[in-house]
Amino acid sequence: MSGARRVKVTSPQTRIALARGHRRHPQLLPLPAPADAEAARAVFAAQRRTALRTVALLGVVLFGSSGAVAVWPSLDRISVGGVPVSWLVLVFATYPVLLLLALGHVRRAERAEKRRTAGGRGDGP
Amino acid sequence: MTAAASMTAIGLVLVASLAIGLYGVHAARTSPDFLVASRRISPGWNAMAIAGEYVSAASVLGLAGMTLKDGLGAMWYAVGFTAGYVAVVALVAGPMRRSGAFTVPDFAEYRLGSPAVRKLCGLIVLVIMWLYLVPQFKGAGMVLHLVSGTPYWVGVVLAGLVVSASIAVGGMRSATYVQAFHYLVKLLFIAVPAIYLVVYVGAETRAEALRPVDVGELASEHWSRPLIDLQGAGLPLLSTWSVLLATTLGAIGLPHVIMRFHTSPTARAARRVAVVVIGLLGVFYLFPAVYGLLGRVLTPHLVYSNATDTVSVVLPGTAVPGLLGSVLTALVATGAFAAFLSTSSGLLLALAGGLSHDLFGGGVSRLRVAVGVGAFVAVLLSLPAGHLDINVVVGWAFAVAASTFCPLLVLGIWWTRLTVTGAACGLAVGAVTATGAAVLSAVTRPSSAWLTVLLAQPAAWTVPLAFLTMIVVSSRGTPADWSERAVLRLHAP
Repeated sequence: MSGARRVKVTSPQTRIALARGHRRHPQLLPLPAPADAEAARAVFAAQRRTALRTVALLGVVLFGSSGAVAVWPSLDRISVGGVPVSWLVLVFATYPVLLLLALGHVRRAERAEKRRTAGGRGDGP
Repeated sequence: MTAAASMTAIGLVLVASLAIGLYGVHAARTSPDFLVASRRISPGWNAMAIAGEYVSAASVLGLAGMTLKDGLGAMWYAVGFTAGYVAVVALVAGPMRRSGAFTVPDFAEYRLGSPAVRKLCGLIVLVIMWLYLVPQFKGAGMVLHLVSGTPYWVGVVLAGLVVSASIAVGGMRSATYVQAFHYLVKLLFIAVPAIYLVVYVGAETRAEALRPVDVGELASEHWSRPLIDLQGAGLPLLSTWSVLLATTLGAIGLPHVIMRFHTSPTARAARRVAVVVIGLLGVFYLFPAVYGLLGRVLTPHLVYSNATDTVSVVLPGTAVPGLLGSVLTALVATGAFAAFLSTSSGLLLALAGGLSHDLFGGGVSRLRVAVGVGAFVAVLLSLPAGHLDINVVVGWAFAVAASTFCPLLVLGIWWTRLTVTGAACGLAVGAVTATGAAVLSAVTRPSSAWLTVLLAQPAAWTVPLAFLTMIVVSSRGTPADWSERAVLRLHAP
């Protein structure tokens, strides 16, 4: 092994917790820019809208695909390349949809963050 | 022959893991700060490490076994395991990274400032981790029994020893590259034999696998419906939806998964890493179904002997005679072993952290004791669990996570009015109902079909109940005056 000193790694919250014992409220890390509360609330609201939208879509995909298989048993009898359509939905089709859903969420969330950071500093487009 | 080939392959994976682990530890020690070192790791490697830790015996053995036994519907578990990461991307990855909390109890302390809730969370970590460790140890006991003929208990005890020792060697698990390596081992060692088998068995068997015959009590018509019908209760849609709820929302609350997002440098990167994980899981989950479907044609006897969880390991040797069959068996057994080792050491470390740090407030010295105690209890619990399906027990672990930590994290991150009392009541209600239902389901046989399903996979009612309890109780109290600031801090870009 190398002679370099080992560094004990703890999360910032654990360090704070260990340092203060058990006081009543946590010492919060300061809000970074945009520091003003109104802007922070606006970012929060925008992010919450995006999150709700993604979760609702996720529900539609999961309950919709399994619901379709349950409601239409005929999907078991129609086959593509010898494989029942309902099997294809379950084994192949859902994963790409889930991936697209997550990609869409990341794009929206990052765009909202970028807009707010730029706006907060007053040098945005 | 098979035993020798399997042992050699498993030995090679162990040696390679150790070598990569030592290299990783060396790199981390020479830098002044461990976190700086982890920031050099690209999102791709990081995601592979998360997938490596996440893909467990449930995925490698359980999915194929359940497909053989109950039908292709078992793959909804895999869909839920993957969909969980969409929920993680949308709801927790970014804010969790910004909170600076490593674990769920850490987060509870940050958001609510209550040591009591922290302790409660520590207790729930234990329940989830033990429920999750039991099927891993069962898998190890079973695979060892198959490849070398030792009794089931020998494999379980050996598993406890190997995992404890691998943590004691230290640093090995913490190296991201080891976990990433294990993902590759699992993917290759499951995918390559699967593709080979599909080609090797010929057109006739392939066609037969798509039009299954009646095996045992299970009529082919029932089997080929791609829905989950828990314990044959005759309520497939309710069963499937309850399993989907548990697996998707449970992934949010799994203590050992949340921890991994801290290795991303920023909240933005944490989100992106979670997206890559979805891709990696999607690729992996294409393959377990192959073993289940071919197993239905080539090894139907496993259904009668209640050994369906072994199908991934038994099938290659049955389908392909001679040396090649042994080699393929060895590959799959090694993939299963890698799944078991990486997941179990992650689970056991999270469990030990909960025991020593959150419950008893001890330092690193107590962590070693906690690892030993945690592994010992897991072994004791696994010994009588030989007859339980791997996937069912893993489903319970997810159900408890979904009914406790999922509401805590989701409401804690997105709702400013959550109070300490509300969180504590919701956690207690979720933990007691979900765990209680699982225990009842394991020991009793209810007469009503609805009751059977709602006990076998309780997420359908315990998750809404836990959310509702937290919201109603919180609405009757007043949140702390710094509560809004704590929430806004989690979303500040």
